[in-house]
Amino acid sequence: MANQQIFLLALLWVVFWGAIGSLFTPRIYSRKDLDISRATLGGALVGAALGPIGLIPLWIYTPRFTNRIYAAASIIVLGILILAFARAYPDNLCVSDGGFVASQVTNGIVIGLIYSLMALGLTLIYSILGIVSFAHGEFYMVGGMVVYFMSASTLFGRAGAWVWLLGAAVVTFVIGAIFEILFLRPMGEGKIERPKEYAILVTFGLSFFLQYLVQGLAGANPVKAPRFFDFPVIELPNAEDPYLIKTTAGNLRLFDAVSIPNTRFVSAMISVLLLFALLFFLYRTWTGRGLRAVSEDRQAASVAGINPYRMNTLAFALGGMLAGLSGATLVQVFTWLPQVGIPAAARSFVIIVLGGMGSLPGAFVGGIIVGLVEALGAGCVPDPARAAAYIPAYGMIILTLTLLLKPTGLFGREL
Amino acid sequence: MMKRSTLLRIGLPAALAFLLLIAPLWIGGSPYIMHLAITAFYYAILAASWSLLAGYAGQFSFAHMSFMAIGAYAAALYGTYIRITTVATETCREIPFFGRWLVILDPIGISQSSQTNCLDLARQTMPAGSMIIQPSIWWGLLFGVVAGGLFGLLIGALVLRLRSTYLALFTIGFSEILRAVISAEIDITQGQSGLEMAPLFPNGITLFGHSYSASDKIPPYYVMLALFLVIMLILSWVVSSRIGLFIRAIREDQEASAALGVHVVRYKVLVFTITAMMAAAAGVIQGHYIGIITPNILIILQMSLVIAMAVIGGLENIYAAAIGAVILLFGLELLRNSFTIGPVTIDMTTWRLVAFGLVLMITLRFFRNGLISPLIDRVMRRNVARETVALRNAATAAATPTATTAGEGGSDE
Amino acid sequence: MSSSKSMRWLITVLVLMLALVISACGAPAAQETVGDAPAAEEAPADAAASSDAAAEEAPAEATEAPAEEASGDAAAAEGDVIKIGALAPLSAPGTVVGGEAMVDAMRIAADEINANGGLLGRPVELVIEDSEGLPERGTAAMEKLINQDQVVAVGGGYHSSVGVAAKEVAHDNGIPVVFAETWNDTITSAMYPEIFRIAPLNSEVTAVDLNWLTSLPYEIGNVVILTENTDYGIPAAQETAAGLEAAGIASETFQTDIGTQDFSAIIDRIRAQNPDFILVLNTGEAGFNFQQQAAEQGIGPQDVPMLCNQDGLESNAYWTNVPDGNLCFLRRVGLPVELYNDVAKSFVERYVELTGKTTAESYALEAYDSIMIIAQAIEEAGSTDPAAIIDALENISYEGALGTITFPVNSKNTPEQAGMDPKWWHQFPDPAITIVQYQEEGQDSLDAPVVFPEIYQTGDLVWVTAE
Repeated sequence: MANQQIFLLALLWVVFWGAIGSLFTPRIYSRKDLDISRATLGGALVGAALGPIGLIPLWIYTPRFTNRIYAAASIIVLGILILAFARAYPDNLCVSDGGFVASQVTNGIVIGLIYSLMALGLTLIYSILGIVSFAHGEFYMVGGMVVYFMSASTLFGRAGAWVWLLGAAVVTFVIGAIFEILFLRPMGEGKIERPKEYAILVTFGLSFFLQYLVQGLAGANPVKAPRFFDFPVIELPNAEDPYLIKTTAGNLRLFDAVSIPNTRFVSAMISVLLLFALLFFLYRTWTGRGLRAVSEDRQAASVAGINPYRMNTLAFALGGMLAGLSGATLVQVFTWLPQVGIPAAARSFVIIVLGGMGSLPGAFVGGIIVGLVEALGAGCVPDPARAAAYIPAYGMIILTLTLLLKPTGLFGREL
Repeated sequence: MMKRSTLLRIGLPAALAFLLLIAPLWIGGSPYIMHLAITAFYYAILAASWSLLAGYAGQFSFAHMSFMAIGAYAAALYGTYIRITTVATETCREIPFFGRWLVILDPIGISQSSQTNCLDLARQTMPAGSMIIQPSIWWGLLFGVVAGGLFGLLIGALVLRLRSTYLALFTIGFSEILRAVISAEIDITQGQSGLEMAPLFPNGITLFGHSYSASDKIPPYYVMLALFLVIMLILSWVVSSRIGLFIRAIREDQEASAALGVHVVRYKVLVFTITAMMAAAAGVIQGHYIGIITPNILIILQMSLVIAMAVIGGLENIYAAAIGAVILLFGLELLRNSFTIGPVTIDMTTWRLVAFGLVLMITLRFFRNGLISPLIDRVMRRNVARETVALRNAATAAATPTATTAGEGGSDE
Repeated sequence: MSSSKSMRWLITVLVLMLALVISACGAPAAQETVGDAPAAEEAPADAAASSDAAAEEAPAEATEAPAEEASGDAAAAEGDVIKIGALAPLSAPGTVVGGEAMVDAMRIAADEINANGGLLGRPVELVIEDSEGLPERGTAAMEKLINQDQVVAVGGGYHSSVGVAAKEVAHDNGIPVVFAETWNDTITSAMYPEIFRIAPLNSEVTAVDLNWLTSLPYEIGNVVILTENTDYGIPAAQETAAGLEAAGIASETFQTDIGTQDFSAIIDRIRAQNPDFILVLNTGEAGFNFQQQAAEQGIGPQDVPMLCNQDGLESNAYWTNVPDGNLCFLRRVGLPVELYNDVAKSFVERYVELTGKTTAESYALEAYDSIMIIAQAIEEAGSTDPAAIIDALENISYEGALGTITFPVNSKNTPEQAGMDPKWWHQFPDPAITIVQYQEEGQDSLDAPVVFPEIYQTGDLVWVTAE
């Protein structure tokens, strides 16, 4: 029992010196007329990693914070916490069972890939329009609903998953485009004061509208689409000893420890495909290059003959569509309701803030990190009464920490 | 000489306040309308204080309901776990307190099997005649407001560097974490079952010779109204004082105002703290009035309701925000009734919210200042215009052309 | 600078005001003298508050009851229509599926009453109010039903926390309530004269689970309980765990937030426990999510015996959301289908026709009965006076879809006299609780065999053993 306090003490130690570092380092740097943009995070990391032993030399020598310092300090912090955790809870599955950890990590990455797709949509919107869409979760919800209703209808029921996905893409794209033209375009035309706040509120209104519209039209019964594709049944190396790979129609099992449900695997693979499609679109087509040009420099792009308003509409619709597609693939994994968009949107916010607002690679990496943190959080927190009850909070803790320590995120442009 | 516009600025609110004071003469007979009125004041406090924070100071915080919840939970925890006894219990955690004992009960969580807490154990051994007192809920109000203020101070200080979208996301994060903590720490907060709170006047109260029971609506109506009026007074004083001027300057251009000597940090944190205290106070009173508080008041829907009220009323006008809250609350409530057109029954519980989202979007797009705020301006300005004309005439008569602009000073922003 | 001066002013004013409020109202909220306690317990009204914590906070009871008379008169003065309130969650965060089903059932009840000529020769109107699953909203809804719509009685009710809060309003106004689906024991154990319940007691349901588990001939050494963190789930999980421990069975409880969607990590943890049995106490979509995801990860009902949440009784929803959920055990409230009386049969027929579902869920049956029993009480009382209705309810013997409903523990036979726990106050004592098991994919829950208790048993259970 006394062991458990080791972890608590380590955590307190890290948090305390991290806070001290993040509070005082920027002041010391600014007193010496040095660049303070990286001092908060740097101070926090060095403080958390080494405590006073690190902070005092840091404050005396005030070195420039390079990525190398960041990385070294982060590794030390993680190391301290992992070691303390292992000492405190030697029987915890995350310490004693390697297969369990592997399974959590795999599932975290798989679900993270799907989250990234949705967050990519949000970050795309941000990079072109400079706003965060608070209706993103509702596009996700609508995408899933479209797939469910197509799969349950007699007309499209047999058409197959690709047609359903196409349907979800079309519907969410159209909703996004119409909304952008009606409500966001005036913002670009400079007719709106304080456009960022306006955008927050007006997308909020849209989210309200869509959520209850769907509830009014479709009811609030929980629904779920059937599995898109079945796995072929494989047992390798042989049926007696399938320790490498064993699949059933609904599950894939690797090395006997890692189990990935079919629905998640399929969703993740579709997400990866869509990701490549998006990259191709952005980097290999004229329109996609136009989009990127607008995100780099609006003025220059419009001089070059790109209509920025059309690009705004395209970006918003495309972003909504990505969320819709993300929902469309997940409706076979989760039970669907008009309210499912709310936690999903919150998670996307976490991802784009962590990755850096407007950064495409950031959304991708952020998605996987958030997927991992949620899986490991729910899997490793020792108290079973709390582990799952705190799932909504894990991401939010990342969000608030990122905003406090490095608001630009992992890959954001420096402010 | 008192200008007519000044008269209007003071007279109109005073008349409204007086109307609200005597309103129970008409609506007092219907506990349901009284209930709506009390809830309307509660939302009006939240919307008006949020409009100071978001509209005047430009801090788009989604944590306003969190401060409300912090206040209410602080008061509820105080009411649930703090007792004063005349004799030491020996079983509870206790500290001597002016010759009595301040007892902190042990949290037992929610359970149906009648689990006993330490006070139940003590009750069996205590000598007859010893008293167990649940201290006044008004100390709980103080406790709640202070807790709300402290958190407001903390959040205000943390978000200094964050602007618009980042601030909104940070506060959403804070709010979600708070909700998760309250739902998960069941031993203390009783999670989703919520904490029960004593009525405002547990033993009833006698007002003007008429005694009201604990469940009567008149006393809470006046308590909430008083809180509302006091908060509106403070808010209107703040916005018309230098503080109001400075926070608007900060909103428009933080760097420029800092360069002009406005203490940016101080005012931002100050606004966060005061509005958080107001929200907390509203939360405590509403909690005691309703009798129970659950973590579901923190769901984003509740916050969006407050935001929508302020926006539809008029974000940059505390009075408009308050009026917007009252109108919207009554509107949404009265729209609950389903109706039937021919064979189709429209279930209004859902569709009214669809309409609500639509109204919110349209208001934002086409009525930037909300729906109520322009009306207020109109009433105020018409008189300003008349006054200006009168002044101009007087000025022409006196042949002093400088007086023409004097009336403009009274115009509302 | 004057700005900081004005700030100081503001702070001073705030502090002064607070001080004023505090000093003006320093009176204690409640006071209790220990020596008096036994005397107080003699009085029946105070015996209600058996838990002393409640007694402490309970406000002094309003002695005059003008509200009661007023609303009674007003209802009579309303003239023709008799209004009956219906409380159900119809929007999030409430369980909308349950709420909508209950509303449909209660509408059927009201239509049936009106088709048979109404009550006391007057038509009946059902006033539906949305509780949103929020206690604060529930009190407002009850307030509106009683004081605005002037209903003579209220039926329905789904979420326990709403019931706990709303019963206070009904009690203050003296309006009878027949709760249909709120299981929390405290709702009846407060012993309010107005509160009746035809749903089972949470503790009794737990007892059924325990009896069943301990009677099984299989080796069960390790049970995992998955629960939502609500006042339905937590007490049920705690009592089950305690009961299992008494029977020498180890158990571990996992708590989740109500809206939890992704259970994969929890499922891995549960698998590592190697449970012999899984008990799911998550309602609504969270339960569906868990069951299907568990099946996909190899510890579903076909791998480990699992008692699923009772929302699964609605077969359409169950098989849509849990396609791999065959062999799940389900708890059903109400008589088994074979023993359905005519009332239940005709109700289910109409319900299926109206909703397009395959059968009526237990909460639909309960909701229907809650309105019909109020109707019969009004007929028997011969008036719409709430006190008369309460009196009629206490003496009622109603043939409903759930069986013959009576409230044997009442003001003439108090729990003290009957020697029973206060939770039995105004409680329908024997709503039949059975355990059924889906044994074919896509099976209608009506066709699923009843496997427990023995007297109702219609088939053998299929018991899967962990690999």
